[in-house]
Amino acid sequence: MPKLRLHLWRRLWPWFLLATCLFITRWSKGAGFSDAYAFITRPFWPGPAQKEWIQSGAELEQQIKLDLLEQDNKRLRKMLSIERSTKSGFVSVPVISRRPKGWWQQLELGKGALDGLEAGLAVMGPGGLIGIVQSVTPMTARVQLLTAPGSQVGVWVTRTQRHGILLGMGTNRPQLTFLDKDPKVMEGDVVSTSPASTLLPPNLPVGVIQSLDRKALPAPHASVQLLAAPEAIDWVQVQER
Amino acid sequence: MVSNHLKPLVVASALGVPFLSFLAPSWLSLMGVGPNWAVLWLLPWALVDGPLSGGLAGLFLGLSLDAISLGDGTQVPVLVLLGFWWGRLGRRGMPIERKFNLGLLAWIGSVVIGVNIWGQFLLTQMNNPIALFHSWSLHTILCQSILTGLLCPLVSSFLLIIFKTPRSSA
Repeated sequence: MPKLRLHLWRRLWPWFLLATCLFITRWSKGAGFSDAYAFITRPFWPGPAQKEWIQSGAELEQQIKLDLLEQDNKRLRKMLSIERSTKSGFVSVPVISRRPKGWWQQLELGKGALDGLEAGLAVMGPGGLIGIVQSVTPMTARVQLLTAPGSQVGVWVTRTQRHGILLGMGTNRPQLTFLDKDPKVMEGDVVSTSPASTLLPPNLPVGVIQSLDRKALPAPHASVQLLAAPEAIDWVQVQER
Repeated sequence: MVSNHLKPLVVASALGVPFLSFLAPSWLSLMGVGPNWAVLWLLPWALVDGPLSGGLAGLFLGLSLDAISLGDGTQVPVLVLLGFWWGRLGRRGMPIERKFNLGLLAWIGSVVIGVNIWGQFLLTQMNNPIALFHSWSLHTILCQSILTGLLCPLVSSFLLIIFKTPRSSA
């Protein structure tokens, strides 16, 4: 019997080891896999070819941002006790894997905890916000796109200053559920991150209201066309903390 | 003959599943949705190696894929069951080698996995369940299963040959 047990153990221990390694990888949400993938694909990471295209997108983003900041400035001047800065720095990070459609809509970025990235940071594409860092490994970061089911971001409509929650639906256009029964918004209004949000920097441009359902219960909701499309982005800007 | 698990090509092809899931080549997608690489690998493996090995491979693949995907949903149970089922099919009667049969099994497997993930989304995101019945879920299931079914005769037949070939000639 002991011989049989020893024989069995000799045959099975590599499988136990493999299973243990995979359980640890699963528990750490892919630390080993993501880092190995980043290491292997490093020579193929996007170069500066998209720079001009990104710059034109960034100009549009800057224009919208400028308007938002001016309005924000006026509002802040009226309030005497606001100390929070609306400006925060962003760092450029390459996108090393993207899955903008399907069950899990996510990006994999080529910088991680070693570069100061952490969960909860805002991720900007050319034009506006595209997602939020959900988890980091030493060399990579995983981003949940705004379109992903389960994604929730506090936003407001800049013109009317009405707050709402942007919910990812899996489709290209997330749904903006308003908190008011009469949000006084119309198609074409710009949506940006909420100044009341403690998670994201305020007034980052997000999208434009495409269609509106005023009769929806318990509150009206709108379909939002995002300014930045994640399908072809090779570089993103991640908020610095 | 050396066991299947030790063939370098087998190990490399197994590692290719999480790698290709990461890579998600856009030119190999149907309306933005890629094939289910786990099904394409697990089907020939289970058919050749039997139900126990198929179930274990399903467990390992499921753990790997869960680790690289967003959220808390899991593919482990359904991959284990599919590996076990395909393993049993491989042990019964005539060997399954015809391209149509392989494609059909892969299509069924992909649909089952899709419905399983969809069900988990419905359970975990109860705050807005109606929205999850939108065309997106059906679109993802259909695109993924069709592409997997079409690629299976190509990829899985090739893997079937590799898995069946003795090591000396592999």
